Amino acid sequence: MSLLELKGVSKSFGGLMAVKDLDLTISGGEIVGLIGPNGAGKTTVFNLIMGFHTADHGDVYFDGDRTTRLKPYDLCFRGMGRTFQIVKPFGTKSVLRNAMVGAFCRVRTAQEAEQVAMEVLDFTGLLSKKDLLAKSLTIADRKRLELAKALATRPKLLLLDEVMAGLNPTETEEVISLVRKIHGQGITLFLIEHVMQAVMKLSERVVLLHHGEKIVEGTPEEMASDKRVIKAYLGDEYVIARA
Amino acid sequence: MKKETGPGRRLRIEGKTWLIVIVVVTLLALPLFIRSVTFFQFMILILWYAYLTTSWNLVGGFAGVLPLGHAAFAGIGAYTSSVLFIHYGLTPWAGMVVGGLLAAIVGVIIGAPTFKLRGAYFALATIAISEGLRVILENIQKIGGFEINGARGILLPLKGHSPIDFQFLDKRYYYYIILAMLAVIFIITYRIARSKLGYYLTAGGEEKEGAEALGVNVAKCKLIAMAISTFFTAMGGTFYMQLVHYIYPRGILSLDLSFEIAFIAIIGGRGTLMGPIIGAVLLVPAAELTRTYLGGSYEGVHLMLYGAVLMAVMLFRPRGLMEPLEAFYRWGVQKLAPQTSVAADEVK
Amino acid sequence: MDITLATIINGVLMGCVYGLTAMGLTLIFGVMKVINFAHGSFLMAAMFATYYFFRLTGMDPYLGMVVTVPLLFAFGYFIQHLLIRPVFKIERDIREPISVLMLTAGLWIFMDAFALALFGAFYKTIKTSYRGAVYHFGDVTVSVSRFYAFLTTVILTVLLYLFLKRTRIGKAIRATGQDRDAARLMGINIDRIYDVAFGLGIAIVGVAGAVLMPFYYAHPTVGVVFDIRAFIIVVLGGLGSIPGALLGGVIIGVVESVGAQFMTATWTEGIIYAIFVSVLFLKPEGLFGFKAEW
Repeated sequence: MSLLELKGVSKSFGGLMAVKDLDLTISGGEIVGLIGPNGAGKTTVFNLIMGFHTADHGDVYFDGDRTTRLKPYDLCFRGMGRTFQIVKPFGTKSVLRNAMVGAFCRVRTAQEAEQVAMEVLDFTGLLSKKDLLAKSLTIADRKRLELAKALATRPKLLLLDEVMAGLNPTETEEVISLVRKIHGQGITLFLIEHVMQAVMKLSERVVLLHHGEKIVEGTPEEMASDKRVIKAYLGDEYVIARA
Repeated sequence: MKKETGPGRRLRIEGKTWLIVIVVVTLLALPLFIRSVTFFQFMILILWYAYLTTSWNLVGGFAGVLPLGHAAFAGIGAYTSSVLFIHYGLTPWAGMVVGGLLAAIVGVIIGAPTFKLRGAYFALATIAISEGLRVILENIQKIGGFEINGARGILLPLKGHSPIDFQFLDKRYYYYIILAMLAVIFIITYRIARSKLGYYLTAGGEEKEGAEALGVNVAKCKLIAMAISTFFTAMGGTFYMQLVHYIYPRGILSLDLSFEIAFIAIIGGRGTLMGPIIGAVLLVPAAELTRTYLGGSYEGVHLMLYGAVLMAVMLFRPRGLMEPLEAFYRWGVQKLAPQTSVAADEVK
Repeated sequence: MDITLATIINGVLMGCVYGLTAMGLTLIFGVMKVINFAHGSFLMAAMFATYYFFRLTGMDPYLGMVVTVPLLFAFGYFIQHLLIRPVFKIERDIREPISVLMLTAGLWIFMDAFALALFGAFYKTIKTSYRGAVYHFGDVTVSVSRFYAFLTTVILTVLLYLFLKRTRIGKAIRATGQDRDAARLMGINIDRIYDVAFGLGIAIVGVAGAVLMPFYYAHPTVGVVFDIRAFIIVVLGGLGSIPGALLGGVIIGVVESVGAQFMTATWTEGIIYAIFVSVLFLKPEGLFGFKAEW
């Protein structure tokens, strides 16, 4: 049974068609990558899935229920989690407190929330920094915190929006293994990524989005040599050159 | 890398329990030793402001917005309980609660559209609504059969010493009542700060989308905070009426009062537990003393003080005076009892 | 019938002065995204400056503008430079920066209280040669001083428009208002521009003070009414829009003037607040949908 399904989803902003008639299915346990050049509409897709925007046409189904019109906090409760491309921590609060906010999604008291938060921080390697202010963290740690916060909500599906952006190769490798660890916990992952090595290493399946439309999907290997992928990113000349 | 010194830590009061206990016991015992009426009037004023600012703090501090029209709710409370008392003989103790409920409803109705506005727009909206309410009350002589006399206000029939009517001749009764009210709102704030609502409020106030993605219904939380805050603020209005026996629109629904409440809370430290109280304790006496000894011309001088302090705080310690005061307290304890550990306790 | 026409005309004239005050506020907001709660107090200061200048030299306020307006510019420039800029800098990353708001609120209280202590509570007026004089346009009687105020407003609006569109500084101001970071990258000294913009906003208020004195009065609290009106107008016209401020001002002036014929002043106030709140909720970008006029 599919965990997430998009049927004919479309969204436009003031005349500009951001997402056009998108069909997409993700089954429980998968890791799926979403790629496409800048402006392709990838973040909009995430926003539509998680309720920050509502689709003009089409529907989103999560775990069997139609969730098109639901708000982000409802979806979080149902088991959807998300990280943001530009991270959104609660800067003036401690790392621990940041994670606790997420934990409260599932528990009722501050004691319980703290426990869950500590577990999650341990899992993401931030436990030693739990009392630091979120705004004082390095970019790599902020990304970890973004993951920790989302994980504290105990999601079934985690939407990761460019979680590798801005990281150096070492940090990227660390995050890749963290993402694998998360997947190992049984969480389904849907990632937007520009860093190709990460996408190829992690994803079981990759979807290409361009101008808001799904162009092609397939395994990483298939996608790497698909002319349409090359064309989307680099333009026609490169396709010809490769051929 | 900065250790957390933000609001999370400032909510911790375990390390200072003994201090709080001493203060509370002293406050409770004062009436046994002191007879001066003026003294108690003074104390009541301080406690009243502390009460109002702590109530305000739930919205202005925890929810992270800037309401500048909160006095209107005190006005709603005062008018409601008074009208019910005069026309139905309903004891103000009950009228207080009714006023509070009415204010909570109005607060939610106002809050729903207003919370969608950005920072400064929100502040302006609260000002406009508060002033609008005042204007309406000034121009109406009767609401649905109840006389409210427009701009001339309502005079409370004097009953002398009559506990059932919430009227006392001895100011010390009022002192204990406002002390109790302050304790209640303080405890409620304390509990909220440590609860899911508290965490959700501060998160939603700081970063709305990030919070929503974590399951926080930011709008609902703000409305809950608003309802609680306005409920208690209204009761503070009733208290005021029972104390001075006379209210009129410009007096109780005044922009000056709304602004004062906001300033005091901010100067003390909005979003902290003790901040508003500390602010009141520092500023109200200062203002009263300035007004008594220096003010020949109306309220002029004490306002200069408020204005100057506000500017200074915004320039140098925008988060309020709580932090420096706490640091000073720690320094003091170290000097007096070097063995005492004042290291940071767990973060709540 | 001519009561109504005269009422409307007077409303327009007074509205222009409101619009003038609002223009300063909207300029400051458009560039710096700062709401200046002390705006009314600056108007009050301008009026006192004009008053004392008249007392000292006997010169007409309109001529006196040569002195009072640069004075107000400098005043605004330095307040921004010394007080607002440091707070602004601290707050730059915070989502809802209220410290500047609170600072200007503190400034408002301080200035009004200080003025009360300094100038006392008596209403001060000046007697120009044309005080009380009227023009007759057909059936309509119009006070000369208000008419001059109207003319000045129109001229100033045009000058301001040209300044912003044609001069280098004007363009720099607009650029900063549109995109602060891009402007900085272009080599514009943002801090200096903020100082200048604020000073300019206050200078405009200086003009407003000068044109008001002939038919109004100076008093430490006179700024309050204008302040609130200015905020309402700025929201009506669209934050950052100069023509919006003028039009908004005219609307408020007319509502006030017409309202005064049928109901008490406080009800008129109530109506204005109601309009304000409606616009805030329904069309916060302003009635006219002027994009910030940059």
